[in-house]
Amino acid sequence: MEKTIITPWDVDEQMHEFYVPEYIETIGYEVLKSYDLSVSSMQCVTTKPDKGGAIWKIETNKGQKSFKLLHRRPTRSLFSLGAQEYLVDIQAARVPAIVKTKDGVNYVEAGGKLWFVAEWIEPLEPVTKDLEGAKHLCRALGEFHRLSKGYVPPSGAEVASRIHKWPKSFKKTLIKMDWLRTVANAYQEMPASQSILAVVDQFEEQARTSLERLNQSKYYDLAKQGNQFWGLVHQDYGWSNGQMGPGGMWVIDLDGVAFDFGIRDLRKLISGTMADLFNWDVTWVREMIKAYHEENPITPELYDLLMIEFSLPNEFYKNIKEAVYEPELFLNEQTTQLIQTIVDTDRTKWPVLEEIQNDWKGV
Amino acid sequence: MIYMKILMICTEKLPVPAVLGGAIQTYIAGALPYLGKQHDITVLGITESSLPDQETVDGIRFVRVPGKIFEVYREGVAVYVKSNQFDLIHIFNRPRLVLAVREAAPHSKITLSMHNDMFNTEKIDPVEANAALEEVAGIVTVSDYIGNVIRGLYPQASSKIRTIYSGVDHTRFLPGSHPKMQSTRSQLRKTHGLENKTVILFAGRLSPNKGVDKLVRALPELSKKFKDLALVIVGSKWFSQDDTTDFIAYVRALSKKLTVPVVATGFVSPDEIQNWFAAADLFVCTSIWQEPLARVHYEAMAAGLPIVTTARGGNPEVILPGENGLVVENPEDPAAFAEKISTILSNKSLMKKMGEKGRSLAISEYNWERVASDILAAWQDAMDWASEYVPMEENLAVAAEITAKENQTVAAEITAEEDQTVAAEITAKENQTVAAEITAEDTIHETVGSADEELQDLNAGPAIETEETHITNPLRRSIRTFPKESDAISKRDRLRETLQEMLRESIQESVRSSLSETITMAETMREIRSKLRRKKS
Repeated sequence: MEKTIITPWDVDEQMHEFYVPEYIETIGYEVLKSYDLSVSSMQCVTTKPDKGGAIWKIETNKGQKSFKLLHRRPTRSLFSLGAQEYLVDIQAARVPAIVKTKDGVNYVEAGGKLWFVAEWIEPLEPVTKDLEGAKHLCRALGEFHRLSKGYVPPSGAEVASRIHKWPKSFKKTLIKMDWLRTVANAYQEMPASQSILAVVDQFEEQARTSLERLNQSKYYDLAKQGNQFWGLVHQDYGWSNGQMGPGGMWVIDLDGVAFDFGIRDLRKLISGTMADLFNWDVTWVREMIKAYHEENPITPELYDLLMIEFSLPNEFYKNIKEAVYEPELFLNEQTTQLIQTIVDTDRTKWPVLEEIQNDWKGV
Repeated sequence: MIYMKILMICTEKLPVPAVLGGAIQTYIAGALPYLGKQHDITVLGITESSLPDQETVDGIRFVRVPGKIFEVYREGVAVYVKSNQFDLIHIFNRPRLVLAVREAAPHSKITLSMHNDMFNTEKIDPVEANAALEEVAGIVTVSDYIGNVIRGLYPQASSKIRTIYSGVDHTRFLPGSHPKMQSTRSQLRKTHGLENKTVILFAGRLSPNKGVDKLVRALPELSKKFKDLALVIVGSKWFSQDDTTDFIAYVRALSKKLTVPVVATGFVSPDEIQNWFAAADLFVCTSIWQEPLARVHYEAMAAGLPIVTTARGGNPEVILPGENGLVVENPEDPAAFAEKISTILSNKSLMKKMGEKGRSLAISEYNWERVASDILAAWQDAMDWASEYVPMEENLAVAAEITAKENQTVAAEITAEEDQTVAAEITAKENQTVAAEITAEDTIHETVGSADEELQDLNAGPAIETEETHITNPLRRSIRTFPKESDAISKRDRLRETLQEMLRESIQESVRSSLSETITMAETMREIRSKLRRKKS
């Protein structure tokens, strides 16, 4: 169709919030011609300028749809599109259905990327920001994981799997603690450097212990059960990608799905929520795990793995790893505050983990 | 050497010729001109917009099928192999292609060239790996390290593995003092403010595995001792905004704080990289992972640079410590690099000697002609390796192989008498030739068809007697002993074992009882052969 290759674009303050370069929109209009739809309006609702992706809401003669430019490699996008189709067609999951082109395919390749149209789900309401809401999210996540089991990617798709990558990712966390220390030492004059140096040993030790525990756990046996057995993780699940809609909770934006242990999504959801609360709350953690367990049962081995995931310095890693990019800007007063908050919250994590450690014993 | 039709199958990742670079692609390109002179060669690789799907260049046929995704490529490879005939098929670094190729070409010899850890259990299921190893006649690896890792995982493959170190074009990679390079060196140094500097060179991927951060961290210590240092980092993505990584950001952040100048070149085209080697004074490889054996070592040697490398993977295999470089035992520690680098930089005459030694090794040992001649030898051995797909033939071959060895040793062991040993030696020779000839016969399927079928169903009823009762009967006896549940691989392994044991017994028996029976075995095989001939004609 087009010889142009879509690349990430720069944005600045003067630009519209959801600015998309014109040539991309032009390709978009071309792409829409492959569909048996008459489009009356097209409104950009989100962009990923640094990656080269965007989502539009389109009004058509067949109702509202979402129209997406996927920023990933086409072969990678094929994996997530296949997953979305599997979840809707085979498993009847509450996930937006893909609208097929006139030729009956899931997507159009243009500008070196995949584009596709999906149903626009309405109404969608975020769940309440309380424990009940959190439990809704967890149940929906468990259901999503359960239904994703058995997915076989279409031929020509890359198989995105993190099942065997846990040790590697644990090691990465550990190594980056050393990077942070080294950068803080090199930039001693920056305000946040001293804060990092004061806590990094402790977080490094946590990461080291987590890795040891992983190596001694049942992880390797569990991983052997393979991709189809464990199913998919969403990787970007939270209060906006899981919402209440027609018939129950819906899971949207599946572009990053990969094979993995579902508890990784659960861990992110829980530790992220605790970070929002600035405090680990044992009731919340227990209830969230239980709600998930109702939909996608957690075995004692898996529970152990979840505990190990929790033991990583996840929040410190996630928020401070950016320091290697322009430390002369990042390591400012604000980051000092952030580190303090992370350290304070982390202190409340350990008693909770200890309290729930044996919850699954004898289950 | 027999002229053969050979297919070389590349990986699904990068096209050949190496228009987009790549170590395997460079290896192929380096050896091809020599290989093409000896055999009829076809190179099967992936499609690339700048290259035609089929072409013949310098007598070598290039065929390109869609790649990138392994499964897609494997399908294309199978289709191509099925519709063409080859004596030998050499597969680069993809053990997962072996079974598909075997199915498409039941009679070709298959050899493998291993360049990294593709035999590791997370890359290939052990069941498939075992089956693939059974099918290949030989495996060449780029370092002892790679071979030993495969041996560790699959000891049964040990005898098939040999190391063939890669090579370098020493007419392109030249020392900076070489007349052809002098002006390039001084120009490059001038452009980047490196005049009067002692230039330490790193060339490689900017990733944690490759450990350039350790070198950057070693510089503050080194700069206390040496006032004229500069570091050149050759590797892409350094300047990239969209495509940068946490690691690159980290190394950049550390470099900014150094007093030693750091020149990051960004992407350097593979055909210009030799200029940076010529501009440098010392080469440092900082890999902290178990690396197969980085090509940069050969390039640094050819460029006459002393080398500091790490005791990881195959890297130290090309270093003669103190002669062409030094090896850092603990590369996690920046101070360890500081120490080795300091040892070399403090001694100008050592530095010079190391460079000269490297250059002479590159010319004498690591040249492409030597690589090609090693590959040719491996192919020749693969052709001689008396085994084929059809299990019956393999049995005969194994029988011959074992008989050959056993006749000699067992006979010697059991009877010390000279005449018997001599007789056994004769038998050994006979058996080898006869077996080889039988294997070469296409019609073997017809004659031993019944045994063949029986092998497919190893629990079949009583063996059907054929006229070759002598030789097939004992084989069948062993075959029938397999339990029902055994899988194909263990069946074969056990078959091999049982066969060995059986033959050992039979040889011992015949050596003990009478010499004439041993000779009869050879004669029986000769008879089979002539029957086959008759049937064929």
